Amino acid sequence: MYQEGFEEEIDLSSDIDLLTNNVYTEVEEELDDESLQQMQLLLQQQYAQQEIPEVVKNFIIYFHRNILENNVYELHGIYENSFNRLTEKFYAKTPWPEADFIAPLVNEDQVFLTLYRELYYRHIYSKLTQTLTIEHRFHSYENYCDLFNYILNSGGPVSLELPNQWLWDIIDEFIYQFQSFCNYRNRLKNKTKEEIALLRENVQVWSCYSVLNVLYSLITKSRITEQLLVSKHGGDMIEAAGEYGSRPLYKMLGYFSIIGLLRVHCLLGDYTLALKMMDNIELNKKALFARVTACHVTTYYYVGFAYMMMRRYADAIKAFSHILVFIARTKMYHTRSYQFDQINKKGDQMYALLTICIALCPTRLDENIHTHLKEKYGEHLIKMQRGEEGLQTFEDLFLYACPKFISPIGPNFEDPNALVQSIEPHLHHAKIFLAEVRHQILIPTLRSYLKLYTTMGIDKLAAFLDIDSDELRIQLLIVKQKSRQQKWIKGTLLEGEYVTTSDLDFCLKQDMIHIAESKVGRRYGDWFLRNINKFQDIIAGMDFHN
Amino acid sequence: MSSESLLKPSPLIPVTRTDIVQSLIDGVDRYNPDNVSILEDYLGQQLQNEEYDLMANLAILKLYQFNPHLVNEHVIINILVKALTAIPNPDFNLCLYLLHESSLADESITKLTELQQCLEQARFREFWEIYGDESCKELASEATGFEDAIRKVILTTITMAYQSISVNLLSSYLNYNPADKEFESFIQSRGLEIKEEVVHIPKNADNDAKPTVIRENIKFEQLTKVVGYSNEL
Repeated sequence: MYQEGFEEEIDLSSDIDLLTNNVYTEVEEELDDESLQQMQLLLQQQYAQQEIPEVVKNFIIYFHRNILENNVYELHGIYENSFNRLTEKFYAKTPWPEADFIAPLVNEDQVFLTLYRELYYRHIYSKLTQTLTIEHRFHSYENYCDLFNYILNSGGPVSLELPNQWLWDIIDEFIYQFQSFCNYRNRLKNKTKEEIALLRENVQVWSCYSVLNVLYSLITKSRITEQLLVSKHGGDMIEAAGEYGSRPLYKMLGYFSIIGLLRVHCLLGDYTLALKMMDNIELNKKALFARVTACHVTTYYYVGFAYMMMRRYADAIKAFSHILVFIARTKMYHTRSYQFDQINKKGDQMYALLTICIALCPTRLDENIHTHLKEKYGEHLIKMQRGEEGLQTFEDLFLYACPKFISPIGPNFEDPNALVQSIEPHLHHAKIFLAEVRHQILIPTLRSYLKLYTTMGIDKLAAFLDIDSDELRIQLLIVKQKSRQQKWIKGTLLEGEYVTTSDLDFCLKQDMIHIAESKVGRRYGDWFLRNINKFQDIIAGMDFHN
Repeated sequence: MSSESLLKPSPLIPVTRTDIVQSLIDGVDRYNPDNVSILEDYLGQQLQNEEYDLMANLAILKLYQFNPHLVNEHVIINILVKALTAIPNPDFNLCLYLLHESSLADESITKLTELQQCLEQARFREFWEIYGDESCKELASEATGFEDAIRKVILTTITMAYQSISVNLLSSYLNYNPADKEFESFIQSRGLEIKEEVVHIPKNADNDAKPTVIRENIKFEQLTKVVGYSNEL
């Protein structure tokens, strides 16, 4: 069995022996330039191939065969396990062999080589960030163009099939590299003249329009919107899907592109449009995004973040809590996943965002989430409720947990200032968001006083707070406004109505404040349901023994 | 008394939106720079007829975001002015997020942001002070009925909190002279009564604070498993 083959320890010494034979001496000097180049490439290939460990060669051949056979099951293992194991073993500090060097192993199969390059560059981006050059960025972009061109413009649907996880990662990585490029381009300060010239001459590379074009094209080609509508309202799915959309590759790429656009629009600061992308996707466990954990987590992170930026804290809290409960419950399953670290990091960031939301809109949380949040950000939360001095904590958490925003237009190369000053879109977003937080910074203090009384005169409370009564009236109006929030009730994610999100309410009769607090009654439902289930398990167990 | 809050989100699909604009908002045509004039004309219509369409205006800003050569400062200002009339909805900030970083330093936009901060923080007298400046009034001059729209925003905030408020206080928030006939007619047009120097505000969902006990609401879905057991008996 092959699987065992490439896992065996191999002896590298034979390869090293081969390398020491000097093959170059045989090259004759009269060769003209072109054939010399060809010869060199050939030699490089041979040279490089000799350097490729036997197990890796076997792996690539096996990988190629399964791509040809569309063996999704095997590809799943290759993609999630074998590739990462080999990376750890042989390519922890160097890139995988270049595609040109392995081309002879796979009969120069261009489709395979494109897919291989996708992994090749992704590996450099994630593990060898220090060695990432502008050429890598450009070539990776070209490679994505090749891949999407092949999928979208082959005169008909292609027969390729890939595991869902990989399809998601393709979209995810495509956007990640786009975002990474935008941030790279915005910092001209330490770049060489050559790099700046390259950026200047290639403005179409990783441009917003080209990225959006890919995502929208995948959506259109797969007819995913039509498919989602049929699955919601009924109808003929085959007709809705069409010849492309009925193939899993297209359907899933189309679907993941919707989630991809949710993300891209958030990165661009267009929160309404981000949520609008989700118009036909319902947030529930049956949704397709739940099939790939990383996609599931991404979806909720960006939905939650968009809600938060739209001041819909209650909706943001719901989204973050939902996915954090999910991550906690499935922890044991994904500890071994290659994406474990990434999911954990996103989870941590979401706890930070949740803390911000809770500080702005105190809400009862799921018990486990609450305990965990207190452990991690309990001190932050206390600071955030202490008025002015808490602002810094809001900023710290926001900058730690916000997505890596994009400034879509690169620097103005004509402007000499652009060479020294970098564009920092996250500061732009933080500034606007924090201005919003600043309005409500005194609310917690005021709330703590209001909670103690049922009626109170304005002057008296103003004296307690050491502010004048005009200022108190202003603060009370803010408390009132911020205690109402738009909240989702039904329909698309953008819909919602204003509801009270605070347990404390009041009204003013001229100079008198009348305060009312709502209390949460005891919850019996969960307790009884849990125990009924437990009881049923016991009964089932007894039957079994009889 | 109605149980619905006085606050209403900006409508996702305002009745004034034409099919053409709707298709621009929904489809990929929203990225076509050639369409910016259609949306700008629609903004002109909003300014003239006291209408408002957030999504369409955000689509303009989106086109500006991708195509800096299209940017028209004047249009941005008008969009922000309209967003002021939608407070306490977050529209103004949603527009700011789409602007280029450098725009926040622009003089007119800074002025409008100051106005926004005043409204969001219920500093209404300060709002009118800043707005009283001619250069500031000029910014909002194209929006028909701007001042009244702002008064409505302010009055909504007040009616959410107060059941009764002195005439002097309310008129100062609304930038009226309390003896002014206009003040009285504005108050009456909003269904409020003035009695002995006090404005009385009928109870609504927001200004009537009552202590309540929130009871849990068990949904049928939670019980499906339990109901399922009965099959096994």
